Amino acid sequence: MNVIPCSIKTLKGLYDISGVEVGQHLYWQIGGLQIHAQVLITSWVVIAILLGSVIIAVRNPQTIPTDGQNFFEYVLEFIRDLSKTQIGEEYGPWVPFIGTMFLFIFVSNWSGALLPWKIIQLPHGELAAPTNDINTTVALALLTSVAYFYAGLSKKGLGYFGKYIQPTPILLPINILEDFTKPLSLSFRLFGNILADELVVVVLVSLVPSVVPIPVMFLGLFTSGIQALIFATLAAAYIGESMEGHH
Amino acid sequence: MSSTVMASSRQLLSRIAPPSTRTPALPVVARIDRDKTRRSSGGVLTHLATALSSRSAAIAAAAAMAAASPLPALAEQMEKAALFDFNLTLPVIAAEFLLLMVALDKIYFTPLGKFMDERDAAIRAKLSDVKDTSGEVKELEEKGAAVMKAARAEISAALNQMKKETSAELEQKLAEGRKRVEAELAEALQNLEKQKEETIKALDSQIAALSDEIVKKVLPSA
Repeated sequence: MNVIPCSIKTLKGLYDISGVEVGQHLYWQIGGLQIHAQVLITSWVVIAILLGSVIIAVRNPQTIPTDGQNFFEYVLEFIRDLSKTQIGEEYGPWVPFIGTMFLFIFVSNWSGALLPWKIIQLPHGELAAPTNDINTTVALALLTSVAYFYAGLSKKGLGYFGKYIQPTPILLPINILEDFTKPLSLSFRLFGNILADELVVVVLVSLVPSVVPIPVMFLGLFTSGIQALIFATLAAAYIGESMEGHH
Repeated sequence: MSSTVMASSRQLLSRIAPPSTRTPALPVVARIDRDKTRRSSGGVLTHLATALSSRSAAIAAAAAMAAASPLPALAEQMEKAALFDFNLTLPVIAAEFLLLMVALDKIYFTPLGKFMDERDAAIRAKLSDVKDTSGEVKELEEKGAAVMKAARAEISAALNQMKKETSAELEQKLAEGRKRVEAELAEALQNLEKQKEETIKALDSQIAALSDEIVKKVLPSA
């Protein structure tokens, strides 16, 4: 029975490569509190990619832009356009927030799909897109909530809370509920999409290692981009909504 | 959800494993069965699929072993495995995001945005400059048209004059020719007249002699 140890070896190899580890985390302790280290590490990589590429491309802007600068000008125009359509004419101060939101989520999602994180072995858990962790998505969603409250309060002062009894006081509970459903839906949409995408790819790879997962991977890239766009668009829409006047 | 998947797979695994009595992994499987802590492992799911697809019991046992062998080491750490595990990661990511936002604003959004706006303004200014000079261009065009008109008038005047001169010369020459021809004609006519007169004179002088002769011949010796 020479077959069994051999197959055990291959199976173990397959396990190591394609093991799906849902909810497994590498923990770091900081002052009695715990941190998901794999999320932190990948987020640092994402931030490094963003800052590095931006510094290289934009450090010396030319009147006639070349490749890198051209790309980042296009990205900036895209973000400005997005902010302008959602927020309106006073979109200027919100471009950094919306832009960072979009770029961070986009690069995070694509890093999960494109970077070979699994090559790096962790003692526990595995490296994946930062948006694969509920902590990241909830953090971004809560920041969005804070942002739109800030936008409304700074624009209208306490009159901002008048929107809760608009158009009629009967809708007060629903209006209050909305403030909770907004971050909830934002964070769970992103988290669920990215996690599901990663799971589908991993399970398919473990079942059929070649060719079949490729279209799903491309679908995953598409989904990742769309999710980043949706998150940024909705964040901008919420900000715009709380800034617009109700007469 | 993952824990229920885990539970069902555990039962399946323990069902598959027993037939292979000689496997050393059995105690491990048993230990996993005893382990009641919440745990979620897709790896087991993967190998469950592998185990289901294999036909012989031997390979199923191998799958069970393979699934079981890496597990004990992980089992101790898996106790806290959780999908919705909120902790310090959340505020740390939020802080990282805010720092990233400030950094990107400082090196990307604000400077490049300002640069692009300035370039847009410069291009627009140049364009409006070009629009302003369009009046000048029109003036120049009018001047050019006037010059062209003057030149054309001059040329046509010169042409007319030339035509006139030429036709006058031609007429003069024609008139000269006609005069000469007339003169010659008149001379020729005069000559003819003179010859006629001479002939008539000559005839007159001969008429008397001829009539005498005719009379002589007609009137026999009167």
